[in-house]
Amino acid sequence: MNTDFLKLIGIAALTALAQGARAELKWEQTSVDLKPALGDKQAVAHFKYENIGKTPVHFKSVHASCGCTAAQTQNEKVGPGEKGEVTATFNIGGRTGTQVKTVTVQTDDPDPSHATTMLTLKAVITPLLEIQPTLVFWQSGEEPKPKIITAKANKDAAIKKLDVTSSVPDFTAKVDAGSAPNEFRISVQPRDTSRAVYATLTIKPDSPVNTASTFPAAARVMPPAPTPATASTPATKSTLSTIRRDPAIPAATAASPGH
Amino acid sequence: MKVSAVRQALLLLALAFVPAIGEAIYFRNKVSWQSPIPASELVTVEQARSWGDNVIWVDARPDNEFERDHIPGAVSLNEDRWNELLPQFLGQWSPEKKVIVYCSAQSCNASREVAKRLRDEAQLKNVFVLDGGWEEWLKSKR
Repeated sequence: MNTDFLKLIGIAALTALAQGARAELKWEQTSVDLKPALGDKQAVAHFKYENIGKTPVHFKSVHASCGCTAAQTQNEKVGPGEKGEVTATFNIGGRTGTQVKTVTVQTDDPDPSHATTMLTLKAVITPLLEIQPTLVFWQSGEEPKPKIITAKANKDAAIKKLDVTSSVPDFTAKVDAGSAPNEFRISVQPRDTSRAVYATLTIKPDSPVNTASTFPAAARVMPPAPTPATASTPATKSTLSTIRRDPAIPAATAASPGH
Repeated sequence: MKVSAVRQALLLLALAFVPAIGEAIYFRNKVSWQSPIPASELVTVEQARSWGDNVIWVDARPDNEFERDHIPGAVSLNEDRWNELLPQFLGQWSPEKKVIVYCSAQSCNASREVAKRLRDEAQLKNVFVLDGGWEEWLKSKR
């Protein structure tokens, strides 16, 4: 038993040593966690490597899993003892929450198990404002009661107020404080529900962090439909605020029954 | 002889568990890049076709891929330009129709993310993901 055990340990150790000797490109880390600041447009991960072998390593390809991520190496050839890095630039766009993107690196390492390396970039994107629901709608002929959109502001964004503008004058929107800190209630109401109408609601927080950010929501009176749909919760109370028409937003089109 | 073979097998099994346990501990907080999707939220191309005109197709691929080609009548809604594209989609949405989101292939995650946001943020019902995505759609046309 003891001899068997020692043999097994010996084999395992030799295998590990043999693999270690073959591995030429050594990565400092293959997984990077990023936490971009509020309003950042990009998150950049640096994956550092070193050629610990005795022969040069050539990169054959560096391929990102998503069109939103661009990956590149400093050099195509890494000589023995040389260091470098693969840079992965993740364009955040309109993404929120935890995003995991991968970069597949292929080298000319003769050992197939080391020729391909998967690099992982994990970014946690906290939005300035979380809006829910982003759509409120009324059926044709439904009582034109207000419906509520809740906007939760990121506590680090120091948002004190929201401006809400409708692309058409057929809807009014009122903003008041929500039930929780950093929360706003946007009460949206159609003037009437006798005809189909669509409005883009542009929500602009007064954040000092990112002054350019606006967030979309939509309000619709649906065309007559064969089956009624559910509607969102009606408002209970709200205070009046002004609604301005945003001339930059094109007038919305009424939805046709064909859609 | 038999006992020795069993012992060795057990020993090998025990040794194999050591790195496995280590990996499980090391990666315990690492999330998968492919979020799981319930079968009820997936539709095959065949199912989708059987729904006929009662469908709004949502293309979650990047703009350039959508511009190159897309499912006829599809609306572009990707997370690169979410804030610009969302209002356009919501203007075309109808409660009577099913929404089917697709991206490039089985391996892509964009359709899952977009479908999830439509369910959670816009609170839409009947939002599905096309199994196999655009690649599968193309295969079905051949």
